[in-house]
Formats: sequence, C-alpha cells, structure tokens
Amino acid sequence: MELSFDRLTKHYGSKIAVDRVSAALGPGVYGLLGANGAGKTTLMRMLCAILEPTAGEVFWGGEEVTGMGAAYRNVLGYLPQDFGCYPNYTAAEFLAYIATLKGIPRDMAQRRIRELLDTVGLLGAARKKLRTFSGGMKQRVGVAQALLNDPKVLILDEPTAGLDPKERVHLRNLLADYAGDRIVLVSTHIVSDVEAIADEVLMMKNGRFILRGTVPQLVRQAEGKVWELTVPAAQARAWAARVTVANFRHEGERAVLRIISDERPGPQAVPCRATMEDLYLYHFGEEA
Amino acid sequence: MGLFALEHKKLWRKASVRVSVLLCFAYVVIFGGVLSYQWFEFGSTDDVTSAFGNNFDGYAMIRSYQARADSYGAYLTDSSLQQMVRDIQADNDRGIFWQNADSRSTVNGYLSQLYPELEETDNAYPTLMEYYVDSAKLTDFYQRRQAALEDFLHLQGQGVGEERAMLLAMNDKVDEPFRYGWVRGWQFVLGSALADLGVIMAVFLAIVLAPTFSGEWHSNTAPLLLTMDRGWRRLARAKVLSGLAFAVELFMLLAAGGVAAQLIYLGTAGWDMPIQTIKLLAVAPMNMLQAEIYEYAFALLGAIGFAGVVMLLSALVKSNVLALLFSLAAVYGPMAIAQYLPYGLQSALGLLPLVGSATDIFRTNTFHIFGRYIWSPYLLITVPVLFGLACVPFAVRRWSRRQRA
Repeated sequence: MELSFDRLTKHYGSKIAVDRVSAALGPGVYGLLGANGAGKTTLMRMLCAILEPTAGEVFWGGEEVTGMGAAYRNVLGYLPQDFGCYPNYTAAEFLAYIATLKGIPRDMAQRRIRELLDTVGLLGAARKKLRTFSGGMKQRVGVAQALLNDPKVLILDEPTAGLDPKERVHLRNLLADYAGDRIVLVSTHIVSDVEAIADEVLMMKNGRFILRGTVPQLVRQAEGKVWELTVPAAQARAWAARVTVANFRHEGERAVLRIISDERPGPQAVPCRATMEDLYLYHFGEEA
Repeated sequence: MGLFALEHKKLWRKASVRVSVLLCFAYVVIFGGVLSYQWFEFGSTDDVTSAFGNNFDGYAMIRSYQARADSYGAYLTDSSLQQMVRDIQADNDRGIFWQNADSRSTVNGYLSQLYPELEETDNAYPTLMEYYVDSAKLTDFYQRRQAALEDFLHLQGQGVGEERAMLLAMNDKVDEPFRYGWVRGWQFVLGSALADLGVIMAVFLAIVLAPTFSGEWHSNTAPLLLTMDRGWRRLARAKVLSGLAFAVELFMLLAAGGVAAQLIYLGTAGWDMPIQTIKLLAVAPMNMLQAEIYEYAFALLGAIGFAGVVMLLSALVKSNVLALLFSLAAVYGPMAIAQYLPYGLQSALGLLPLVGSATDIFRTNTFHIFGRYIWSPYLLITVPVLFGLACVPFAVRRWSRRQRA
C-alpha cells in the first residue's frame, strides 16, 4: 500500500504553486509543514485528484489515480481547508448525505455516523443544525465525514484550524489511533501538531520539499543553531531586529532570548536543545 | 435514488426556497387567483378608477354573470347575439350598467370585428357599438366571421398558399354554432392568470435554482464533494433531477391552487365553449378545457426547460448573484428586446423557455421550417423544454470541468 507522486507540478499562470515534488508514502502519519502559500493545499488537492497537475503523476498502489476514478475515491478521505457544509442540515443528516455520496449502504452508514459522532464528541449535537455549530464543532464534523468510509488514505488540510487546545489534543490522539496501517497526511503550520503526531515530516517551501524525515531526524538538523542569550531588557528589541528570535522572556531587568542562528550570536550566547519549532523558524523565519 | 432524495431535501431545507415558494404561491394563487376572482376582476364596481375600489363580492357577481349568460341559450347564434345587444341597450336606457357590464365587453368585441360598417363615426362614443347598433342588423354571424378571418389572414400576409390552407383547415374543425356561456371568466383564466404563470414562475425558479451548482462554491463544499466515491457525475445528476423536480413541484403547487380557486369561483361551466368565443379570429379547434390544459402544459414544460437553462448558467459561473442575474436575463432580456427585432427573430426568441406566450393558441402565427408551415403553439410548447433539457449535459460537464481547473 503506497501513495506516491512523481515530479508533481502545478502552475497558475506564471506562478508556480508546486514545483516538481516527488515522494512515496507508506502507512503512517505524515505532517506536511509549511508557511501559508508554501503549496500544501495545492499539493493535497492534486493528491486527491480534484486538481489536475500541470505535470507529474500521482499513483496509488502503482496505478495512476486519475484513471482509477471511483476506485481511488473509494479509498480516500479528505478534509479540505475551510471545510464547507450545509447550514440547514443537522450533523447527522450532513454525514448521511456524505455517506450516500461515498456509496456507503444506509444501515452501515447509520452505525458509522453514530460511532464517528461519538468519536469526535458530537453525539449530543447530532440533531442540531450545522448553522448553530462553532468553528471547532464544524471542523470535527469535517473530520468525521473524512473518516466515514474508513479510508486507506486520509488527507487532512489544516484539521486543527479553529480547534481549541483540548479539541486539538483530542484530534491528534484520534489520528494517532486511527493511523495504524493507513496513510494519513496532515497539513498544518502549527508545529506542535506535527511534532505530536507525525511519524514523518515533509517540509514545504515555495512549492518544493525542502526537508523530509522523522521529527528527531529533523530536529537534529537544527542542533547547533539554537542559542539562549541573556541581555538587558532595553536591548531585546534591537536583537529581534537583527536575528531570528524564537522566544523571549523577561527576568527582572533582563531578557532571555532564544535565537536561531547559524553562528553564535554573541559571546555570552549558550547553545541549547533544538525543537521542531526552531527548525521551522530556521527555514521560515522571515515568513513566520 | 438516495442521493436524489438527499439533494431534494437539501434544496427544500433552504429558507430562501421556502420563502420563495410561499411568495410565489401567495402571488399566483392568493393575489392572482382568490383575490382576483373575489375582488379585483369580478367584484361589482362602485369606483371605476381602480380595481381596488371594487366590492368584495366576486363570488356572487360571477354567479349572476353566469346565470345571465346562460339565459341566452347554449349556443351563440344571430338571435342570441341580437338578444344580448337588446338587453344591453335596455339596461342602458334604464340606467343600469353592471348587470351587463360583463358580457358587454365580449359583445363589443364581436360587433367591432364582424359589423364594422355599423359603427357610427359621428356618435359621441363610436366604439361602444353595443349601445346604439340596430340589433336586427346583426345577422350572418358565422359567414361574417369566415370573411373576417380570411381578410385577417390576407392582411397578415398569410392569405395565400399552403399556410392559408393549413390555417383554414384548422378553422374548419371549429364546431359551429359556438357553444356559449359566460366568456369573461374563461378569458381571465386563459388570457391573464395562466398566460402570466410562466413569467412569474421564472423569477422564483431563478432564485431557487441559480445556486444549484454555483452554491457549492459559495458554501465551499465543492472540493469535498469531488472526492466522493459516487463522483461528480452522479451528484450533478442528482442535483439536476432535484432542480427539475422542484420546477415540477412548484408548478403542481401553483396549478393545484389555481385550479381549486377556479373551481370554487367559476365552477366547470363553459368548459366546452370554443376559444373563438374569446377571440373570434382564432383558428384552433380547441374548447376552453383543452386551451387550459395547453396553457398549463406550456407553463410546466417551459418551467422544466427554464430550470435546465438556470442550472447551466449556475454551472458556468461561481457566483450565486451572477447566476441569478444571468438566469433572469435569460427570460426577461429576450422579452425586453424582442420589440426592437425583426419579426422572424422575435418569433425565434419566443422558443426560449418561458419567453414565448401560451396565448399563441389564440393567434395564427406559424413557423416556416424546412418548407413546412407549423402552427406556432406546437413549437412553443415543445422547443423550450427540449432546449432546457439539452442544457443539462453541458451543465454537468461544465461543472466538473470548473472543479478541476
């Protein structure tokens, strides 16, 4: 079971949204990390076969997906970014609608809808109209619809957007549980989400993969580039203008800066342990 | 079927749909039906300056009009026409106007068309012939009608050849003497209430169906729907079917309300009168019931055709507002510009869904296609629905293509 793509490219006029990206994804959770505009959504839409690539191909089990049609859609679960729904439907009706679209037999669908509403914590709101739902609740309905057909490939575009911290943790646990022998691709620009659930991270910038690896592997790449420097509080602003500051905290009259830099930023700077967020800032410092 | 049912349910769940249907029903059935019968059209008149000045007594007035018409016998003959004119003049002499106010306009039409030589140009009101003509001179009604028809065809440029023969052959099938009863009720139904039905439905169909496809962009659900196992083709088919079903349902609702109001107020009396009692020079061998069925069928098929056009426009654009504006323009645009176009083009525009008129059954218009003359109502009822249904595959294809662009 493998989802692969080869030199996948998408141009919008002269703008290159995705630039010859290739990868082969086996079972596991993949975090697609990148700043806004990095090409994550475009790539995901091509992987879902709802956007025609300018060049390149997507394969499922060695077969080109555009030729597979329903056979590919049958194994696919997708949560688009800015997930839209029908406000006059209740959560249960909306899921029943999607289940019908996914070709799930009615009896099975009813059971599955109940199960999933319970899983995403919305069983009590099953009969409420979607227009009364908060953003987070809608997002959970979105996740439930993506899981309806028990997909082998689950593609979630910014699934944690709009969720409160408790909901985010709940969703992360759900995905970790669900993954098993399936392929789960989650795009986000929230580093902690990727750090928490991704077996492997694909970092995108300007339409290309700039890094790929497990979280520890990637974090290792940032080792030696993260420093802690204590300066008088009055100088903190000047430092922030000069280098990438990941964090700073006040300690009395002084400020402790966490700096991302290839070079030791000052003689008093001490190296410290890197995190995914540091790596992210190292690559997207100007955009983040 | 499941997908269709869900799409259909989704459509009816929208507040805009329910409000539209309610408004359409209120306008067509309550305002254009019940209140028109009871008040605006057939209420007795104290204030002739406004229909709103009528009394709220249409039901009773209609009964009296019908009774009066029935008193002239079952058929329209020279003698019954003469009697009508004598009664109008007698009432006028006694200063009574309302009893015959209704049949007066019908009789006036007959006289002005068939007895133009009796018009007194020096009379203060020359066109109100029914008040002054010598009723004894009102003879040879059917011979005069035949002559007037032939003159009319000649004036229309239809006085020779195959076209004339076709129209006169149709006219030959009209039974004479005409069955006669109260005409103006049927005139209201066929010439006003039903004739405008399609035009009114167009507004509400456009409001409801314009978001069929463009609405998926609006609600941002298109990317999701495209990844479903059933695929866009089945979904699009379900959407199209639910749109067409809605057009039929809206029609059924309005037709049921309209027929119910008609039965309550007019009853069935006069259903077998020929439409020539409304318009003397019509050639179609149709009675009132057949004409009503035609006009309802015209509205239904036009609505189905228009639904197809609206859904195509909805698939062509991503904006609900644009889809609505284009949909309205598709029906009211041709109506607005038709008068500035050559006759041939005017006729062609009439073949677009809900643009043409159901009242062509009262006319002698024809289409000349591949060397054959075809009476316009045949094409006006069939072409729009075919045109609309032909739009459907393009809508489905266009929608899917847009999604993948």
